Amino acid sequence: MMLKTHPGGPSRRGILMASAGLGAVAVTGFPMIASGQGRRPIRIGMPTILSGRVAQLGISSRDAVLMEVDKFNAEGGLDGRPIEMIIRDSRGVPAEAARLAREMISDGVDILFDGEPSSGGFAVHEVVRETGTLTLHINTETSAMSADPRQRFWNAFRVARQGIHDSVAGGVYAAEIVKARNLRRWMTISPDYAYGRDTTAEFVEYLRYFTPDVQVVGETWPKLFQPDYTENVTRLAQGRPQAVYSCLWAGDLVAFVEQAALYGLFSQSQYFAVNMADYTTLKQIKQLPRGVHSGNRYLSSYPPQPANAAFARDYNRRFNNYPTNWAWQAATAVHLTTAALKKVGGTDPRQLAAALKGLTIDSPFGADGKVTMRAEDQTLVGYAIGWGTTIPTEPYVEGIQTANWSQIFQLEQEWKKGKGWA
Amino acid sequence: MSRFSGWRGDVLVALIAFSLVAALSLGVGSHALIDFIIRLGIFGLLALSLNLLIGTAGLVSFGHAAFFGSGAYAFGLLMQSGGWSVPAAVLAALTGSALLALVIGVLCVRLSEIYFAFLTLAFQMLIHSMVISWVSLTGGDQGLMGGIPKPPFLGVELARPAHLALFSAFCLALSAVLLRQVIRSPFGVALRMLRDNPQRAAFLGLSVFRYRLGAFVIAGTFAGLAGVLMALYVSGAFPTFLYWTTSGEALFMIMLGGIGTFLGPILGAAVFLFLSDRISGFTEHHGLFFGAILLLLVLGLRKGMLDWAVDAWRARGKGRGV
Repeated sequence: MMLKTHPGGPSRRGILMASAGLGAVAVTGFPMIASGQGRRPIRIGMPTILSGRVAQLGISSRDAVLMEVDKFNAEGGLDGRPIEMIIRDSRGVPAEAARLAREMISDGVDILFDGEPSSGGFAVHEVVRETGTLTLHINTETSAMSADPRQRFWNAFRVARQGIHDSVAGGVYAAEIVKARNLRRWMTISPDYAYGRDTTAEFVEYLRYFTPDVQVVGETWPKLFQPDYTENVTRLAQGRPQAVYSCLWAGDLVAFVEQAALYGLFSQSQYFAVNMADYTTLKQIKQLPRGVHSGNRYLSSYPPQPANAAFARDYNRRFNNYPTNWAWQAATAVHLTTAALKKVGGTDPRQLAAALKGLTIDSPFGADGKVTMRAEDQTLVGYAIGWGTTIPTEPYVEGIQTANWSQIFQLEQEWKKGKGWA
Repeated sequence: MSRFSGWRGDVLVALIAFSLVAALSLGVGSHALIDFIIRLGIFGLLALSLNLLIGTAGLVSFGHAAFFGSGAYAFGLLMQSGGWSVPAAVLAALTGSALLALVIGVLCVRLSEIYFAFLTLAFQMLIHSMVISWVSLTGGDQGLMGGIPKPPFLGVELARPAHLALFSAFCLALSAVLLRQVIRSPFGVALRMLRDNPQRAAFLGLSVFRYRLGAFVIAGTFAGLAGVLMALYVSGAFPTFLYWTTSGEALFMIMLGGIGTFLGPILGAAVFLFLSDRISGFTEHHGLFFGAILLLLVLGLRKGMLDWAVDAWRARGKGRGV
């Protein structure tokens, strides 16, 4: 009876035997687990806006990232190491974006995709300036982030379109229409906050650069997320401009267009709405007016490449929705990151940053099928920028003229010199 | 024991709490814990300062974030201008917040109840609009960009998260001791009397206006310190700091932790931050889950957590006939 000191309980020998047995099964029966111990996934953190008014854009950013990461993982990842995404909702609060970024860095992410617009983007920028985490800003369009040398440091890259590039391209396009149709009297209607005022000022600056005799005879500045545009529409109707510029976006642009259409404004003047050609807007307007000039935010038909159409098709099939400007930027961030990872063969941030600098990759969204991470200011260039006019049905925008990047580079350089940044 | 019943006791408790936090943050070294301590320092202080108005003086302010924001912007702008040490900039930012509180307070504290609440809200939104519009100084809606320099002082390097956590905990502990003395002082007793029966206090010869203004300025100054810590934490200042939602969050922390107990707001801030972080870790429907949990807590307890605990403890004592 001495043997049964612990009746019913497992003996030490039993536990040892069971452990050895389990270990043997683990090694022989599940060789993938045993050999995969050293193959830690590459972890990428991403704060973005998944709730609130801008959620549609943040969700499209997340979806595009997941779609492209799944492709990379399905192809075997980096020598068997898959990418694991950790995506959290910042609710559009900059301090929360900064906190999430810190939390993700604390949790040991290898890379950060900052999916915030400019406000949260700059908050995350300051966090990673301190921590030295390799970071790709994928939705910050404010030019200063990469153009201002004080904002630059080795581990931060921008994979997004930029206000100054759009302004130059828009100015060049508008100037040709101005010359052809003799449109001298202009008015502007843009949202009353930093982005709206800066972008409008830059557009007007480049419009005047090419056609100095243009006059801006009136400006009207609706508040952000303003529901009623009667006052602004009345001002535009009274001002009788030949052309109108607007950088209203998303829901605000939809509300404005529908209200302005009631007053027949689109038949009286030429409209230049830089943010019109994105599906978040195009699909929402019940009767899209014909002939509104717009830059491309994201269109499946532009750039007219099979890879771009395939991206939109895959995205639509998987998420039952349309990609947005934030979606192509997010996908490009994955493309650039995976290209750098393959080049380096590991996740050392210094080596990855060095690999990203000046990296050119084939891209569905490139003006000539390629995009480049420009080395000097670590920002994306060469992406397709085009302006065309709207039509009420698919593909919604026709007659798109592609912007000339050598001209953009030249004017961007002059703009930087004017700011004392070059 | 009587040697430790007054301010000495408060200092002792604060020292023990600070030592515990220091040991935790330095010993465990977890980044998440360090981050939590920094934010608890910030929001604990904001809620604690607001409770001087709500719990002690009976003034429900909806515009407390104005001083949180002013502290953050003042500190950020001073540090970015160069030539300022951290302690000097902190003092200047606190002075700025105190002056702002004085100006707004002079206009607000004559009113009471809902009129006071809405006037403070109106001033906060006015300052918010000014910050948004004055782009050349504040960066407008994009906030103060370009980082905030943090030169070391007295061996403290605030650029290192562990140092910032200790600094944040120190500020909270020191402020808690100071605010506790304010509440215990004759001034604090007068504030409670004003809260419970302002007419009687006035008949006794107390100046309702001066006492309330004093409380408003003190609360605003400590909220400014919370703002300074926030600016240090995110290396910037953003208009959301002085938006009404920030005031609302501070109010909620107080409701959650307890109005009637001195440390209630700090507990409320800790629970609020912990829940908020955990929820955003597993769902995108943050508001839905957070709101539901808070609703259950509030409906279930019908008062702040610490108030409930203290009442339960006292009831237990009475039950035993102690």
